[in-house]
Amino acid sequence: MDKKRIVLAEDNNTLSLLLKFRLEKEGYELFMAKDGKEAITLIEASNPDLIITDIMMPFISGLEVISHIRIALDKDTPIIVFSSAGQEEMVLKAFSLGANDFMGKPFSPNELMIRIKRILN
Amino acid sequence: MMIDYQHLMTYFNESPIYIQVAWGTSLILAIAIVCLSVYLKVLRFHLRKKEIENKLLKSEYEALIIEYLYTEDELGDGHTFKESVIEQLQSAILIESKRKLIISILYNLTYEVSGELSDTIKTLYIKAGFVAHALKRLESKHWYIIAKGIGELSHFRIDNVYNNVSKFLDHPRLEVRKETELYLVELFKFKGLSFLNTLTDTLSEWMQLRLLETLQKFDDQQICDINPWLKSQNESVILFAIKLAQIYNQFEVQNTLTELLSHPKKQVRIAAIQALTHLYGIEAKEMLKANFNDLSLEEQICFFGMLEKLVMPSDEPFVEKYLFHKNFDIQLLALKILKSINIEKYMGLSKTTTNEKDSSMIELVNTI
Repeated sequence: MDKKRIVLAEDNNTLSLLLKFRLEKEGYELFMAKDGKEAITLIEASNPDLIITDIMMPFISGLEVISHIRIALDKDTPIIVFSSAGQEEMVLKAFSLGANDFMGKPFSPNELMIRIKRILN
Repeated sequence: MMIDYQHLMTYFNESPIYIQVAWGTSLILAIAIVCLSVYLKVLRFHLRKKEIENKLLKSEYEALIIEYLYTEDELGDGHTFKESVIEQLQSAILIESKRKLIISILYNLTYEVSGELSDTIKTLYIKAGFVAHALKRLESKHWYIIAKGIGELSHFRIDNVYNNVSKFLDHPRLEVRKETELYLVELFKFKGLSFLNTLTDTLSEWMQLRLLETLQKFDDQQICDINPWLKSQNESVILFAIKLAQIYNQFEVQNTLTELLSHPKKQVRIAAIQALTHLYGIEAKEMLKANFNDLSLEEQICFFGMLEKLVMPSDEPFVEKYLFHKNFDIQLLALKILKSINIEKYMGLSKTTTNEKDSSMIELVNTI
């Protein structure tokens, strides 16, 4: 069976590693981007089944990544957004741009797994 | 070449003294520049090398810690993987640079993840021996190291060092005292507020907000008795307790709040009126109404705010007296209150009023 592909755009290296470890253990194929620019390149190249993106990232923000996927690439790939405290407005913008779900930091990786499984199955 | 050199020496020796001094200074400066350039180059090389080493170490420890957080497997010899990670960390934290690096990774993780994983991070922090190092920092002569140590213990929620930390409530530096207060509230919730019993410092508005924010994070919102703080000699403690009464709907302290209406400080009296408004202090309303003329202007405005919320038809004669008060806020509130309790009388006002200012106010209230 083909592994489901996930693109993770997150500028915090420690968190990316943590999620990579967990998601790969669960049987997903993970592509990691440390900023929005890399995320867009990876999304265009790997055609993922799910995209997980932080809102605040260098070069290109998570909102711009969502907008690029929905408008420029015209893809309906599910998107989960990470947000921090005080970014409620950004989350609303993310939803209006086409995000499917969001998780506020700090979050429980177990809860993230449940949400990923729910979206992908 | 030799001739040139001799020529230069002759020129130097025959030159006036100020020229010789200028040449000497130039030479010293030139040597200094060369030496400093070499030193900077060496320093930059070492810093870059250090940075690369730190990056490598960081990724090494990151991987180790993450694997620790998710691994439960046992090795063949009965020595678990987790134990081996803890041993590695225990030896690493003896070196200050490595300790700082590992702490930064743990801090970073706690900002990003919650739930069962944050509990595991705390266990790792304890088992690897960081608590002992944080406690050592509390013995430092420098206040900023003590403050950082308390902050670290608070961040990793180490609650069994209460006695080691609480003694800093009387530290001469404000920063250390604040960190201690936050530690107590962060870890012991409302019980941690007991420092307010003896607090003589002013609890700044910013600190009050930080404490309230910390308290609101807890699931258990069962508040302790705030009466002693409402009776405190420290004005800022009273103001903070009034905020607590308001936020946590402490109806049982209404009597103490009513007593505060005669507090010597105006700020306290105003805050008490606002809290009583929130807590439906009908008795306080009657009391304030009876002493209305003795109140300061700010208190009178605040009282009208209370009346707007707690008004009853029996208050109408009182309100009528202030329909044309010279203060904008009082007049506006009085008109609004009348409009809410007797719309007919209020509508009649526009016909009888001849004063331009009063007519404008009525028009304004019409639009609200």
